[in-house]
Amino acid sequence: MDDSSLDPGVSRRRFLQTTGTVAATTALVGGNQARAQDKPVEAAGPEARRFLATGQTVTLNINGKPMQVSLTPNTTLLEALREKLDLTGAKQVCDRGACGACTVLVDGRSVNSCMMLALDAIGSKVTTVEGLAGETQLHAVQQAFVDHDACQCGFCIPGFVVRSKALLDEKPDPNPDEIRQGLCGNICRCAAYVRIFDAVESASKLDPKGGAK
Amino acid sequence: MNADNQSTAPNNRVALENDGVRLDIVEKVTGRAKYTADQYPPNMLWAAYIRSPRGLGKIENCDVDAAKAVQGVLEVELTKREGRYHGDRLGWICAESRQALDDAMATLQLDFEHDRPRARLDAERSKAEAHKPPDNAGAADAVLKNADVVHDTTYSTQVQTHCCLEPHGAVVHFQGDKAIAWGSTQGTFSMRDEIAEALGLKPDQVEFHCEYIGGGFGSKFGAGAEGTLAARMSKKYGKPVRVMCNRKEEQLDTGNRPGSVQQMKIGASKEGKLLGGRVWTWGSVGPAAAGATGGGGGGGGVRNPGRYRFGTVGKSHEDVNLNAGYPRAMRAPGHPPGQFAVEMMMDALADKLGMDAVQFRLLNDDNANRRNMLTEGAKRFGWDEKRKAAGTQKGAKKRGVGVGVGDWGNGKGNATITINLYRNGTVEVLSGSQDIGQGFRTLLADITHTHLGLPREKVVVKVGSSSLPPGPGSGGSVTSRTVAPKVFNCCDLAKAAILKVVGTEWNVEPGTLKYDAGKITVAEKTIDWDAACKLMAQEPLTVTTSEDGTYWKDPTGSEAVQFVEVEVDIETGIVRVIDVLAMQEVGLPINRNTIENQICGAVIQGMSYALFEDRILDRKTGTMVNANMDMYKIAGPMDIPRITPVIWRSREDAGVNSLGEPPIVPTTGAIACAVANAIGVQVRDLPMTPDRVLKALAEKDNSGAPGQRTR
Repeated sequence: MDDSSLDPGVSRRRFLQTTGTVAATTALVGGNQARAQDKPVEAAGPEARRFLATGQTVTLNINGKPMQVSLTPNTTLLEALREKLDLTGAKQVCDRGACGACTVLVDGRSVNSCMMLALDAIGSKVTTVEGLAGETQLHAVQQAFVDHDACQCGFCIPGFVVRSKALLDEKPDPNPDEIRQGLCGNICRCAAYVRIFDAVESASKLDPKGGAK
Repeated sequence: MNADNQSTAPNNRVALENDGVRLDIVEKVTGRAKYTADQYPPNMLWAAYIRSPRGLGKIENCDVDAAKAVQGVLEVELTKREGRYHGDRLGWICAESRQALDDAMATLQLDFEHDRPRARLDAERSKAEAHKPPDNAGAADAVLKNADVVHDTTYSTQVQTHCCLEPHGAVVHFQGDKAIAWGSTQGTFSMRDEIAEALGLKPDQVEFHCEYIGGGFGSKFGAGAEGTLAARMSKKYGKPVRVMCNRKEEQLDTGNRPGSVQQMKIGASKEGKLLGGRVWTWGSVGPAAAGATGGGGGGGGVRNPGRYRFGTVGKSHEDVNLNAGYPRAMRAPGHPPGQFAVEMMMDALADKLGMDAVQFRLLNDDNANRRNMLTEGAKRFGWDEKRKAAGTQKGAKKRGVGVGVGDWGNGKGNATITINLYRNGTVEVLSGSQDIGQGFRTLLADITHTHLGLPREKVVVKVGSSSLPPGPGSGGSVTSRTVAPKVFNCCDLAKAAILKVVGTEWNVEPGTLKYDAGKITVAEKTIDWDAACKLMAQEPLTVTTSEDGTYWKDPTGSEAVQFVEVEVDIETGIVRVIDVLAMQEVGLPINRNTIENQICGAVIQGMSYALFEDRILDRKTGTMVNANMDMYKIAGPMDIPRITPVIWRSREDAGVNSLGEPPIVPTTGAIACAVANAIGVQVRDLPMTPDRVLKALAEKDNSGAPGQRTR
C-alpha cells in the first residue's frame, strides 16, 4: 500500500483505522482497475485510490439510474443503499453473509450487499428489490410470492425475492431440490419456506425462459 | 368429526372460503413495507450500548476520552464497571453517524478482567434432593411404590435465542411537547407508554408507529433498553435518535428460551394408566431475578408435567442463575421443552408396558377432541405400518415415527375496533394493534368483507399505530381471538348505520330494510352498497365498539396433534425430518393461507429447536461463542420436511382461537420420539446433534440392549 496515493490529509494509519481492513481497500482498487479496461468508469484509474477517509461523492448505477452518493471507503453497498439512498428493501440482519436478507443483483448476479463495499459497485449495475417491478406490474417472481402467500413477517422476503430471481436466471427450470439448494443462503425465521418453494416453482413454470419477462 | 373442508359456521358467513393472500404482501415483496429498522429521518443520531465482552468481570481499562475525541461523537458514558453476562450493558455512546459510533466503540479498547462465570446449567443446579419437597411428595412417592412400572430418567434442553430478523430497537424523535417514534414491537401501546414515560410525556403526546414488524416471537413487548436509550438521547439532543441492536447484541441481550433439566420418575399400572410420581425441573435464567432485562421476561419455568392425565405428581422447580443473557417469553414459553420430556416419558413407559405409543396416549388423555385427532391422525399418517417398519430399513438410514400433542388456553381480552365508511363505498377498518406477520390485517379484512358480503377490495385496513383504536399486544396468542368478535360486532354497527342512511332517504323505518351481501331492499326497491354509501350526508360515517356483542363464542382448547417421520443416519448421526402431519384445532378459521402458513412455521421452528439451535457459552469466560447467524444454526431451506397442515374443526359454533403458539408445542417431542423409534434408543438432550445421536447409539451398543444396527 502506497501512502502517496492517498489524500495528503489522511495518514496511512488513520486511513486503515477508518477503513477497517487492508484487504478491503486493496480489493477495491484492483477491482476498479480491472473493470476500467472494458468500460468507462467514473472513478477508475489513478483517481480510484484517492477516496477520502472522511467521505467522497461517487456515482452508482442503481435500478437503471445513476445516483450520487457520499461514501466513506468502508461503507458497504447495503449501508449505502439503506442509509444514503433510502432503498430499504434489502435488510441488514446478520451483517456477515449468513442470512441473505440483504441480497441484491450486481450485474445480474445475486450478492450479499452486506459483504460488498459500495465502492466496489462503481461501474456495475445494481438492482435492488425496488427495481424489479415495472411501473404497473410486479415481476413474475414477486407475483408468484404474492399468489402463494409466501411470507409472514416479511423481513427476509426482499432477499428471497431477489435471490429467487437470480436463481431462475441461472437455472430456468429448477427441480424442487435445486430450488432448495438455490435458496439455501437465505433464512426465514418465521419459516414460510413451504410457500416460498411453491412460489419459486410456480414462477419457473410461469416463465419458461426464466428471468424478467 | 374432522371438518377441514366444511364451509360455513352458523350465525356468520366467515369460514374457510377465505383463501385470499395476506393483505400486505405486495408491500412486502416489493420492499415498500417500512419497518422500524428502515427509518432514517434527517439529522438522525446513532446510539448504542457499551457491553460486557465476558460473562463475569470488571473493566480494567477503558479509554473513554479517546472515544469522546472521535469526530462526531456526542457522548460516551460508562455507568458501571462490572459486567454480569456477555452483552451486559455498561454504558452507551451517542454519535452523529454510524461511522462515528462504530469508531468510538472500537476506540474504547475495553480491557476486561474476567472471573469464572456460572456458565452451565447442569453444573450450577442443585441436586434433586436439595429441592424443597412439594406438599404432595409423600402421596407421589406412595404412588411410585405401588406402580407396576416406573421410569426414571433425566432430559435436558438448550437455550434457544429468538433471533428475530428485524433487531430490537427504536427510532425516537422528541419535539418538546410531543414526540414521534417507531419501534419494532409486539405491543403498540405497551411500547408507546414506555417511550412516553422515558420522555416524560403523556402517552397521547407520543405518536407511535409499528406498521411492519420483522418478527418478535415473544421478545418484543416494552420499549426495552434500546427504546429507553433512544428516548433519553432524543430528549437530550432534540434530534431523532436510532438505537437498533446489531446481530451480536440481538443474540446476547434480547431474550431467549431458557435451558432446562427435567428429571422425571413416573409410574403406571400394567393396564397402561399413568399413576403419577415425581418431577424435578431446573431452568436457566440470567444473573439476577427474572425480568431484570426489561422488555418483559420469563423465568426458567418448565411446563412439565402437562397435557396427559399424569395422576399424583409431586413437582418442584428451581431457577438457576447463570452469567448469561436473560430469558424472555418465547413462543409458548416453557411448553416445547416441557412437552419434549413429557412425550419422551410417554414413549418410554409405553415401551416398558409393551403398548403402542398412540394407544397409550389415548388411554391417558382426558381431552376428547385430542383423542379424536390422535385416532384420525394415526389413520391418515399410516402410523401402524410406519411404526412397524421403524428401524428395519437396509443400510445406514433408519426411519422412525413419533407423535406429540399440545393445546392452549383461550381467554377474553380488550380491544376497540373502528370502521369508517366512505362515500365511494370504501370500508376502512382500524385497530392500533400490530401485525407481526401472523396476518392481523388479513384477519380484519376477511372478517369484514365476508360478514358484510362485500368484495375484499372494498376493505382498507390500518393497523400498527398509536393513533388508531387500542388493542392487545401479541402475546399469549391473544390478538385474533380477542379482536375477532369486536370486528363482527362493529360490522353489524356499520350495517345498521348504512341502513339508517338508506331509511332516511327512502323515508322508511331502517328496521324494515333487508340487507344481504351489500344489497339493501324494501318491497320492490333495491340499492347496492356503493349507491347507498353515496347517500351519506358527510364522510366518513364512523362506528366503533369495544364490545363482543353476540360474537364471543366459547373457544376450543386449540388442541394440536402432530405425527412426524424422521430418517436417522446411524453412521453420521444426522437426523432429517421427512414428513410432518400437523393437525390444529383453530375454532373458527378466518383465512386458510395465514393459518396454514403459521402452522408450518411453528413446525419448522420446533424442528429447528429439536435439531440445531443452541446458545453456546465458553465455560471459562462465559462468552457466547456463536452470537451470530453463521454459527448459531437455524433451520434453512435444505432442512424443510414435507408438512401437511390440517385445519381441524371439532365444533361449528366455536369462536376464533389462538394459533400462534399451540402448533409449536408438540413438534419437538414428536421429533425426539421419532428419532428414538428409528434408532432404538432415546437421545435425551437437545438439540439432537449428530454427536449426541452417535453417543446414544454407542451407549445402546455397550448396554447390550437388543441392537438394531445393521451395516
